[in-house]
Amino acid sequence: MKRVGLILTLGLLVFGSLAFAQTPVPETPGANVGGDLVIGVSQTFKDMDPRIMNSAYDAYVMNVVYDGLIILHPETLAPAPWIAKSWDILSDSQVRFYLNEGIKFHNGEDLTAEDVAFTFNWIADEANNSPNLTELIWVEEVIIVDDYTVDVITKPEYAPFAPGFGSETQSIVPMDYVLEVGDAAFNLEPVGSGPFKFVEWLPGEHIKVERNEDYWLVYPNLDSITYRPIPELSVMMLELESGGVDIVDNMPAADVPRFMEMDDVVVQQVGSLSYFHMYFNLQSPISSDIRFRKACYMSVEMEDAVFSIFQNLTGVKSYGCIPPALWANDQEYLRDNVYLEENDEEAQRLFAELRAEGILPEGYTVRIHTPLDPRRRQLATIMATSLIENGVDAEVIPLDWGPLLDLAYRSESDPVGDFEMMWMGWSGGPDPHDFAFYLFHSDNATVGSADNMSWTQIPEVDDLLDKAATTLDQAEREGYYVEAQRLIFSNYSAIPGYHYVETRGVRARVQGYTISPLGSMWMVTPYHNVWVN
Amino acid sequence: MIGYTLRRLLQVVFTLFALTVLVFVLLKLMPGDPAVVMAGIGAQLETIEGIREELGLNRPWPVQYWRFISGLFSGRLQAMTYHKPVYLVIAQRLPATIELGLFGLIIALAVSIPAGLLSAIYRNSLLDYTVTTVALMGISIPVFWFALMLMLVFGVILGILPVSGRGDSIALFGWQWLRVSFVTWDGFRHLIIPSVALASVQMAMNARLTRASMLEVLREEYVNTARAKGLKERIVLIKHAFRNALAPVVTNVGIQVGTLIAGAVLTETTTAWPGVGRLMVEALQRQDQAVVFGLAIFMAFFFQISYVIVDLMYAYIDPRITYD
Repeated sequence: MKRVGLILTLGLLVFGSLAFAQTPVPETPGANVGGDLVIGVSQTFKDMDPRIMNSAYDAYVMNVVYDGLIILHPETLAPAPWIAKSWDILSDSQVRFYLNEGIKFHNGEDLTAEDVAFTFNWIADEANNSPNLTELIWVEEVIIVDDYTVDVITKPEYAPFAPGFGSETQSIVPMDYVLEVGDAAFNLEPVGSGPFKFVEWLPGEHIKVERNEDYWLVYPNLDSITYRPIPELSVMMLELESGGVDIVDNMPAADVPRFMEMDDVVVQQVGSLSYFHMYFNLQSPISSDIRFRKACYMSVEMEDAVFSIFQNLTGVKSYGCIPPALWANDQEYLRDNVYLEENDEEAQRLFAELRAEGILPEGYTVRIHTPLDPRRRQLATIMATSLIENGVDAEVIPLDWGPLLDLAYRSESDPVGDFEMMWMGWSGGPDPHDFAFYLFHSDNATVGSADNMSWTQIPEVDDLLDKAATTLDQAEREGYYVEAQRLIFSNYSAIPGYHYVETRGVRARVQGYTISPLGSMWMVTPYHNVWVN
Repeated sequence: MIGYTLRRLLQVVFTLFALTVLVFVLLKLMPGDPAVVMAGIGAQLETIEGIREELGLNRPWPVQYWRFISGLFSGRLQAMTYHKPVYLVIAQRLPATIELGLFGLIIALAVSIPAGLLSAIYRNSLLDYTVTTVALMGISIPVFWFALMLMLVFGVILGILPVSGRGDSIALFGWQWLRVSFVTWDGFRHLIIPSVALASVQMAMNARLTRASMLEVLREEYVNTARAKGLKERIVLIKHAFRNALAPVVTNVGIQVGTLIAGAVLTETTTAWPGVGRLMVEALQRQDQAVVFGLAIFMAFFFQISYVIVDLMYAYIDPRITYD
């Protein structure tokens, strides 16, 4: 699953209206100053350098050690000032950012335009092999205008976009310090300009940060924060219950009702910008036949399957790839007109037809691949069982991430991909482009690194998505996405599964913390200043 | 004796060499491409290629093997995802594992040997039944479940012990990687649940083994002779019987020491203990072949050495055994 999404297409209008705004300061009247917060994290940490970081869990630490050029408003997800106090769109391919003055990195150096340009140009430079290059693929260059002004020049094919820069992976790093200590050392002992300073990283044990007394925006309420990786979710729940941790970044559906009834724990939920589906391999001779895809679809009541696993608590049924939290999702239409209900008779009829034509060989076993994630495995099992009941042999093949991606990406030696179906997830930024374009545009069906893993190649869809990506008017773009999605899903390239509902457990003593659809772990920002009672 | 020791050590070297080849080939045959995992989903093709180039993954196998093996011994082998040399990645996790392993072993031995001894002496008594039943449960209950129960009871319901993780630790000699936690109160409290969980299986096995071995020895003629000589029962039991009953127990403990260090994967994962067992799981997930390689060789080395020590200890425990 793509971790940190692309935050590309935040329209001109939104950006324009915020010109000459100021960075808001969070207000927390009556807040208690002091205290240590412990956060339970589902995985161990990998990278502390935002330029190469590509894990949702590392991002939690980025959220407090660094500042972003801009922030996405916690509720509207519209870009809002942070390091940049305002910006202007100068032309179709140029945006000018005006930075706040007086921001200092933890080592005392000033944060200036030089650091902003360095950060983005480094990521955008192919020679650096940053996994986050894709997110800045639209940036031609970032130019320093003066100490506190930078211009972002976009590539011609991305001309009309105003950049987002709202992801943790685009946090600003101190140029001089990075060049002095080198990339590897910086990654282990990060220095940012954020509300908390990095203290220590004991691998597998914890990362500790302490208040940046000189934080430029506001005085952080918390003394310190400890991030503890706890690999077993059941153990993390015990930690939450006992008060050993204050916030957990994940909660299994089975535990949600129990914690909802508890007085000293608050369960926070928000629909996340994610999408999980079972896609068909459109290159395989079997699943390239739409009758096969429809027959599989009709072998199972997908609504019931998803409900049985999530009970509408940590996941909701999806009908298209654009999450309900975003505009242009068109979920209602897709549910009423494209979703296929279980119809075993029709499914069996189609399978018989395919057999008669020799497309589905007698005795053939259909393979459903899935990551090790228990929820997707369960859904894959439901699908396999339903197929077997309809007379088609099927097996579930759960795979580790590495081998699974090998299969999904195809290779020179196996460009077709030797499989019929695969469960996969995706998460993106707050724009429909991040979902529809990457998952279904034929540009992304490339051997070796495919986001469009189903190899969906529909010229009309490509056309619509291209238009949507180069148009600024949101209403017009919405029309393109709606049409594109209807085409994609009537082609049954994929059976939509679910949108994940971000669920976090928070001890009642924690105040001012809000869960984010972006999956961030914000502590002190223009909109937050968390404290403990 | 010295000749034997040297021969054994030479064997260790050969075994290890064969292992490095085996582990390397297995790593390379393992499906999945580290560069793809590192670049993440949605990465550009060029990025993946670049990472391959950077890590030398596109070189011929023998070249890669040489890089691994020479780098491992010179300390220059860099981890693929940890941004430091492999030996340092392992060294940082090792103290936690050794600490947990030693505590687990101490608890296991302190409980199991007396328990096994007593149940052999008071055979078919209530005590004997209790020990054998509890031991059977100890072997049968999965470690992770037992650890969860300990957490639930002592961490959540009674609230007297921390649920998981390693507590405060201090760095010895100012070396940040060499941290011990049992010397602090908080660290000691954190150590209890994981080490009891880890000890549970060993405890049960050792108790049963001690009992069985003791019963066998008690049937020996020299024990009867000792008794017939009019020696005190306690002397007979401890000096004549127990010492001779110890050999199989020592073998088992020796094997367990290796397991404690290398095989505490489950306990460490369940209790969020930052040791090498969990590192192995983590490195495999990240497809960090350098760390997996280094760890596998290190663990194998540890096993081998503990076997050699066990062999040598036989001679000490049982004077009839000599090596030449």
